[in-house]
Amino acid sequence: MANIKFTGVHKSFGSNKIITDFNLLGKEDEFLVLVGPSGCGKSTLLRMIAGLEKIDEGEIFINDQKINELHPSKRQTAMVFQSYALYPHMNVYENMSFGLKIEKRPKEEINTKVMQAAKILKIEELLERKPKQLSGGQRQRVAIGRAITRNPKIFLFDEPLSNLDAALRAEMRVEISKLHNQIKTNMIYVTHDQVEAMTLADRIVILNQGNIEQVGTPEEIYNDPANIFVAQFIGTPKMNILEVKEENVVSGNTIKLLGNDIQFNDLKIKKSKHFVGIRPEHLKANQNTKFTFNPEIELIENLGNEKIVYIKKDEYQLSAKIPSNVEIGSSIGFDLDDIFIFDADGKRVKQ
Amino acid sequence: MKIKNTILFSLIATFFLIFLVSIWKILATLQGLTIKTFNIEIIFIIGFLISLFHLIFNDKIKPIYKSIIFSSLFVIFDGYLIQKLPLWYNVGTFLIIYFFVSKINKYNFTNLKEEHSTQVILFDFLTLFGILFFSFVILFPFYMMLVTSFKTQIALLVNPLDFSINFGQGLKDLFNSYFVIFKSYNFGKYIITSTIVSVGTVIITLLFAIPAAYAVARLNFFGKTFLSTSILIIYMFPAIVLVIPLYTIFSQLGLRNSIEGLLIVYTATTLPVAIYMLQGYFKSIPKELEEAAILDRLSWFGIITKIIIPLSIPAISSVALYVFMIAWNEFLFSLMFLDNPNSFTLSRAIQYLSGDAETPRQYLMAGSVIVTLPVLFIFVYFEKYLVSGLTAGSVKG
Repeated sequence: MANIKFTGVHKSFGSNKIITDFNLLGKEDEFLVLVGPSGCGKSTLLRMIAGLEKIDEGEIFINDQKINELHPSKRQTAMVFQSYALYPHMNVYENMSFGLKIEKRPKEEINTKVMQAAKILKIEELLERKPKQLSGGQRQRVAIGRAITRNPKIFLFDEPLSNLDAALRAEMRVEISKLHNQIKTNMIYVTHDQVEAMTLADRIVILNQGNIEQVGTPEEIYNDPANIFVAQFIGTPKMNILEVKEENVVSGNTIKLLGNDIQFNDLKIKKSKHFVGIRPEHLKANQNTKFTFNPEIELIENLGNEKIVYIKKDEYQLSAKIPSNVEIGSSIGFDLDDIFIFDADGKRVKQ
Repeated sequence: MKIKNTILFSLIATFFLIFLVSIWKILATLQGLTIKTFNIEIIFIIGFLISLFHLIFNDKIKPIYKSIIFSSLFVIFDGYLIQKLPLWYNVGTFLIIYFFVSKINKYNFTNLKEEHSTQVILFDFLTLFGILFFSFVILFPFYMMLVTSFKTQIALLVNPLDFSINFGQGLKDLFNSYFVIFKSYNFGKYIITSTIVSVGTVIITLLFAIPAAYAVARLNFFGKTFLSTSILIIYMFPAIVLVIPLYTIFSQLGLRNSIEGLLIVYTATTLPVAIYMLQGYFKSIPKELEEAAILDRLSWFGIITKIIIPLSIPAISSVALYVFMIAWNEFLFSLMFLDNPNSFTLSRAIQYLSGDAETPRQYLMAGSVIVTLPVLFIFVYFEKYLVSGLTAGSVKG
């Protein structure tokens, strides 16, 4: 039970501005995922919450308590590091109980807490082992267990799955999701992996160069991206962005694209350059769609259940994701609802 | 290619054999044996033939029989036919040839066919040659020291170049020199002084070096780069330059002839290298571990004692070993600062003894053995702590 609030947080390393004017209001018990390309400042933000980096300007509040000057250990946060950071000279039990031991808690309390955490993570039989005798996934569990025993108000995850192989990553993703359902606590999770962001988050914060691009639930982010960056960041393969030249904007609500005249019902489009976005999964073959075009097929990647088709039409390169049992005929189509339109600066044009 | 390689192999092997046999002959001469000639040509021919026949007979005879046959043949030629030499010499020769034949056992015509095989052979023998040569250079003086310490005054005067140990004289006579130096020359006291000084230096150096190295490795403070680069500057001053001013200072402060004075000087001389060695190791400890410790409410002091030190045991023990050896063997400062036999360290005591013409040589050597042995034992004991890889498993590596 906690909520976190950022007001005007700034951070720079030397002359290098990492985060500029970061404002965000967290909700109770929410799983917040900070996602963005590398170097966007997401890890720095997490480390500022934990107290491992100083906050240059602005304030961070946890439960309305300003934590800027609070010692890291008093912030009631627990962090899971990307590299696990387990103490190599202690066994799993000692690793998990270390923080409590430093606080000089009674032995029984330490024991129950460690056992509880071990049970949640199913690592009871590993308690006697040293970190080097564990596999990557087990180490990450222990690292999470160490965070749980500290009973924090906010869990901080710093790319915890990026050192695991693909299969284990998917498994641990589910585990973390379950963990959040089990211990209803705020979690802030940093990742550069959009799949993790979409699957884990209650709300996603998309960061780019220290600025928030969009905050919203995974559905909002996917269905209603605020700009081209967000639209392209979420979804694989990434959204096709097609440039519409000024002369192709026919009137206030009609544009010429891929040989079609597309008329929007409730949009006002200025007479200038625009961008149109269509997700690859919304390009359909052999179906009744409102608009169609006849592309050249350059390459087909078969993924088993679906295939990714790289196509070319006029000066545009597009990719389409279609079920693998669908034959690609001569025409590809899309519907009006599947079109996102962005202005010359990349901002979404809405009614 | 095969013929060239075969000849090269035989030549290299032969030279190696000549080297082995020559060392043995030198040792035998020192033992009092008169060898008229070294017979290099004959050994060369026999060695060449052994290498060649080894290749030809390669798989046809079991290696152990082959070794015995070759060794016996060599001994018969060299030890009996050419010159008559005593049995113990020939047994030694037999063992050397046996060693040699089992060493060349892994070479056969198949691997000589490969193009780079001569290089492999050359490096193999160079390694062996290096090991043998340098261990001879290092171990021989030590052996001489040991042998001399076991001798009586008369035996030493009769033949100073006799390198045998006379086990016939009984244990009490054998270790007589050791009893004497403890009884009449106060070596027990010197050992205690040396131990206090060395162990004290180790403790004080580590006490200062660990926090200092941690600060240099991790913390940001004013003048850090200057400090960390200038740590080793003290080594640009030869000790002899510092000795005279220090002598005046210590005389005025009354620190001469005192253990405290030595501790100060030894700590000052070993600290830079200790800090330098430790900070390199501290830097290799993942930073996340310390951050995790901060979140676990550990203070700086706690991080050093509970995280850094346990993980740096290999580095700390090698530093401790280094400092101990420096302090134990140090001679220049103890020579300058100590002139009262009551506060002598071992090395100073030996110098004091050797300066006195009346001190029998065997006592000096016994003293030298006593100086050397502790360092040897400590090194063997500490060696197991010098393993690396203690941080394995902490972070993804």
